[in-house]
Amino acid sequence: MVTVATRPAAARAVDLRKVYGAGAAAVEALRGVSVEFAAGEFTAIMGASGSGKSTLLHIMAGLDKPTSGTVWIGDMDLTHLKDRDLTDIRRDRVGFVFQAFNLVPTLTAAENITLPTDIAGRDVDGPRFDEVVDTIGLRDRLTHLPSELSGGQQQRVAAARALVSRPEIVFADEPTGNLDSRASQELLTFLKAAVTDHGQTIVMVTHDPTGAAYADRIVFLADGRIVDEMRDPTAEKVLDRMKLLEA
Amino acid sequence: MWRAALKSLLARKLRLALTALAIVLGVGFVAGTLVLTDTALSAFDDLFGDIFSKTDVVVQAENAFQDIAAGGGGGGGQERNPIPEEVLADVQALPGVAAANGSVGGFAQVIDPQTDEVISGGGAPTIGSSWDPDVTPFDLVGEPPRAEDEVVIDADTVEEAGLEVGDEVRIVTPLGVDPYRLTGVIALPSATTIGGATVASFELETAQRLFDREGTYDQIYVVAEDGASEVSVAQRIQQSLPEGFQAITATDAAAEQTEQVREGLGFLRTALLVFAFVALFVGAFVIFNTFNIVVTQRTRELGLLRALGASRGQVFTSVVIESLVIGLLGSALGLAAGIGLAVLLKQGLELIGLELPPTPLAIRPTTIIAALVVGTVVTVVASVFPARRASHVAPIEALREGTVAPTASLRRRSMVGGLLTAAGVAAIAAGLFGDVPQPAAIVGLGASFTFIGVAVLSPFVARPLATAIGAPARRLGMTGRLGQENAKRNPRRTASTAAALMIGLGLVVFVSVFMTTLKASASDTLDETLRADFILSSSGFQPFSPGIAGALAERDEFAAVSPLRQAGVKIGAGLTFIAGVDETTIDDVISVPMEAGTTAELAEPGTILIHKGPARARGLEIGDELPVRFARTGTEQLRIVGIYTDNRLLGDYTISLDEYEANVAEQLDYLVFVRRADGVSLERARASLEEVAGEFPNVEINDQAQFKEEQDRLIDQVFGIVLVLLVLSVIISAFGIANTLALSIYERVRELGLLRAVGMQRAQIGWMIVIEAVIVSLLGAVLGIGIGLLFGWAMQQALSDLGVSRLAVPWGLLVVFAVIAALLGLVASIAPAIRASRIKVLEAISYE
Repeated sequence: MVTVATRPAAARAVDLRKVYGAGAAAVEALRGVSVEFAAGEFTAIMGASGSGKSTLLHIMAGLDKPTSGTVWIGDMDLTHLKDRDLTDIRRDRVGFVFQAFNLVPTLTAAENITLPTDIAGRDVDGPRFDEVVDTIGLRDRLTHLPSELSGGQQQRVAAARALVSRPEIVFADEPTGNLDSRASQELLTFLKAAVTDHGQTIVMVTHDPTGAAYADRIVFLADGRIVDEMRDPTAEKVLDRMKLLEA
Repeated sequence: MWRAALKSLLARKLRLALTALAIVLGVGFVAGTLVLTDTALSAFDDLFGDIFSKTDVVVQAENAFQDIAAGGGGGGGQERNPIPEEVLADVQALPGVAAANGSVGGFAQVIDPQTDEVISGGGAPTIGSSWDPDVTPFDLVGEPPRAEDEVVIDADTVEEAGLEVGDEVRIVTPLGVDPYRLTGVIALPSATTIGGATVASFELETAQRLFDREGTYDQIYVVAEDGASEVSVAQRIQQSLPEGFQAITATDAAAEQTEQVREGLGFLRTALLVFAFVALFVGAFVIFNTFNIVVTQRTRELGLLRALGASRGQVFTSVVIESLVIGLLGSALGLAAGIGLAVLLKQGLELIGLELPPTPLAIRPTTIIAALVVGTVVTVVASVFPARRASHVAPIEALREGTVAPTASLRRRSMVGGLLTAAGVAAIAAGLFGDVPQPAAIVGLGASFTFIGVAVLSPFVARPLATAIGAPARRLGMTGRLGQENAKRNPRRTASTAAALMIGLGLVVFVSVFMTTLKASASDTLDETLRADFILSSSGFQPFSPGIAGALAERDEFAAVSPLRQAGVKIGAGLTFIAGVDETTIDDVISVPMEAGTTAELAEPGTILIHKGPARARGLEIGDELPVRFARTGTEQLRIVGIYTDNRLLGDYTISLDEYEANVAEQLDYLVFVRRADGVSLERARASLEEVAGEFPNVEINDQAQFKEEQDRLIDQVFGIVLVLLVLSVIISAFGIANTLALSIYERVRELGLLRAVGMQRAQIGWMIVIEAVIVSLLGAVLGIGIGLLFGWAMQQALSDLGVSRLAVPWGLLVVFAVIAALLGLVASIAPAIRASRIKVLEAISYE
């Protein structure tokens, strides 16, 4: 099943396959996935454990290589890039929010936010930095080390880092997985705002129906294939659909 | 617990290997030293057995002690009264005596006709002797020397000089250089080499003339009749001998010689072992550090063990068992490495011409036990503190997220560190300035305590120092910034890693500061005291004929010619040197700075001048009697007539030449100071010197500047050797840096993965690790340089009374050491850096 985005694609995958291991022990994580992520859209990828959703995200983000198929970020084909070029793309064109261990413990919150820019040796966009910091509401915590921040604050700093350089696309891998519902809500509101207010593109893997309801569009994966998708979801609709898929 | 410990070891083979390596190197050094010295000893034992193989009894003058120092590398062992010729006939007439030869010896240096240089295997003896046909241990190919211009020479030397029987060869003896005809080649039947020594044997009367023994012998070698026992023949001979002479069995004579070598080797062994223990000490730091990190990393696992019911004792034991296994393994490998090292060193010695007589390696059971015990004990002791920490992990830690850095009381740390440092410094001060038994050992102990104390205190300064040292790194952008932050993040770990380097480098710096200081004050003193224009000295500490000084004194070009002789004597318990000088001329060539008395007072018989060092130490004053034991004449009571304040040229004790001649057998000059007459140019004086001394290849003519250079060169040589011996410790600390980095990377896998995910290139990751390592090693360098300067200053202060008047710091060299330390850190970080840059991003950031 091929899904077509309504707007120009910020990233797309064509017929992705990923096999781990070899021979009898081989596991097929992706069995031919083709998908587009429209610019300025908040997409959630859902699926049960082992459905291949994280693998898809990692390959799309240039963290892993597909066994076959092609991946594009904007007009750039990632499939045959060397590690060095892939790294540059991750640094300059992509943002990340992981489930945990998002921050470098020796750097302050502010330094973590500007980390990719600093790695590239570029000047930080001051106004943009201020804007993002104000949005996450952590101005008074900027000089704190990660160990001095709560889990929710840490994830918001991670989100700020992902957004500050206006990447073409942000990948979030279960960003609320370790947060309580209140902190989750704050983070998702923040991500949603980035999409609606600034036209940011975000792709988020989650298994939480409430979280997925923040997205504009949900793509459902099962057994390494896209099995369904939904636009303008609500938590109830998502729950219903999931029950249907599991049945 | 055994099984848990072993499993944990095998699970981390690389760590095991790196940790064991720290102990392998130290133990290897210990074992290598023991095997090499034992081998040398057994080689010389065999050699002396061979040399006395035909002899049953040796007749010689009694002496007060075995003089190992006098005569330098000359004939050696000639500090005995000569035996009158008529004794030989009496001995020969005794029943049970089959044959007896009178024998004399001295030095004889063979000149290589191809190079015109004296053949001398790395400073091994150049022996000259009479040819003793009945008792010689050598096999002779050719004819024995029969005429006064004939000689036989050992096979190795003949080969090296490219000689053949019938050739003419020039030989330096105490009488000068003369040509001889080679009539035969001699070799020991069993050994192909005599330890690098050269041997030239002359017909007896010639030898007596050459070595100033006319009408006398040094020894009479006796062959007993078949069936007569050594002991009974020796007893019979003894009864016939005049007062003052002894007859000993050849077995005893060989044992006596071996004993002399044993003393010499014992000194070498002690010196080498000191450096080996420094290496082990550094190794202990590395092990301590590794275990500490590992215990931290395993906090959760240990907590789980505790939660499952393991007692504190059991957890403690499991860590100690782990260290026991590493210690045993490392020691066993170290033993093997040490044996390999001994083989290599033995071959190295052969390369520089100091060939040991062929003998199998002497690997004694005590060596094996010592190596295993020392290595294991050091490892286990180093693991006790980490093990104690492990045993204090609470069961709740099993449930806690991440690892929490332990925060033992800072106050306790500063107290313990402060106390250790203070105790160390106090011990050093006591050893240097106080009146204590075994001062060297106490200073060593004090230094160890100081090192440990500073290491305990160093976490306090690690963070600010790393900030300062790493400041330039921040300019390198995020890579440098992160490298610096990583060096600062765990001050304890950084500090104790740097501490290992601090020890080796601290000693290196200490030695270089001390050597530079010695050179500076030597140069100062010579400037002040040396009035001679030229100094004749011998190459390779080979004293030379007094005839040279005699001939020079005859010449008008020279205002003063003053020889200095040197012999070993016993004053108190220790063997020391005594100088013999001509009190009528010494003041013309050296200004001896006198605190009391004058040099001229030596003219009175039975007098001595002493340096203020021993004068203070023994509470001696002008007019006191000092008992001096001479090897040849026994104890003489000498009256102190002067105390001088500088011992650089004279040593601690000085007597007149007359006194020297009365008490010492071998009359050879060590140095001759020459001052030219007014109006004689330096060139003319040198030309005149060349005329007289030039034909002696073993005599060097140095002007003041050259003499100073020569003195500096000696100090530099010692410095070089000490540096080489300390290098191993520095290398071990580099392993420590590599080990810490590798373990830290293992801890930081997620963080590295994150950095890679958000766009850090592999090369940047690598550089980040390199920068961290360089900062840690520079931290060690700064601490080491600080401690080294402190030790150097203390040593200078201790010796300031003895003429080491000012501290000279080789700043340039210190910068070089810091750069080397940085490079060492860089090299140590290469493997960890590569490993860090290769971590798989996905594995690092995926969640359990």
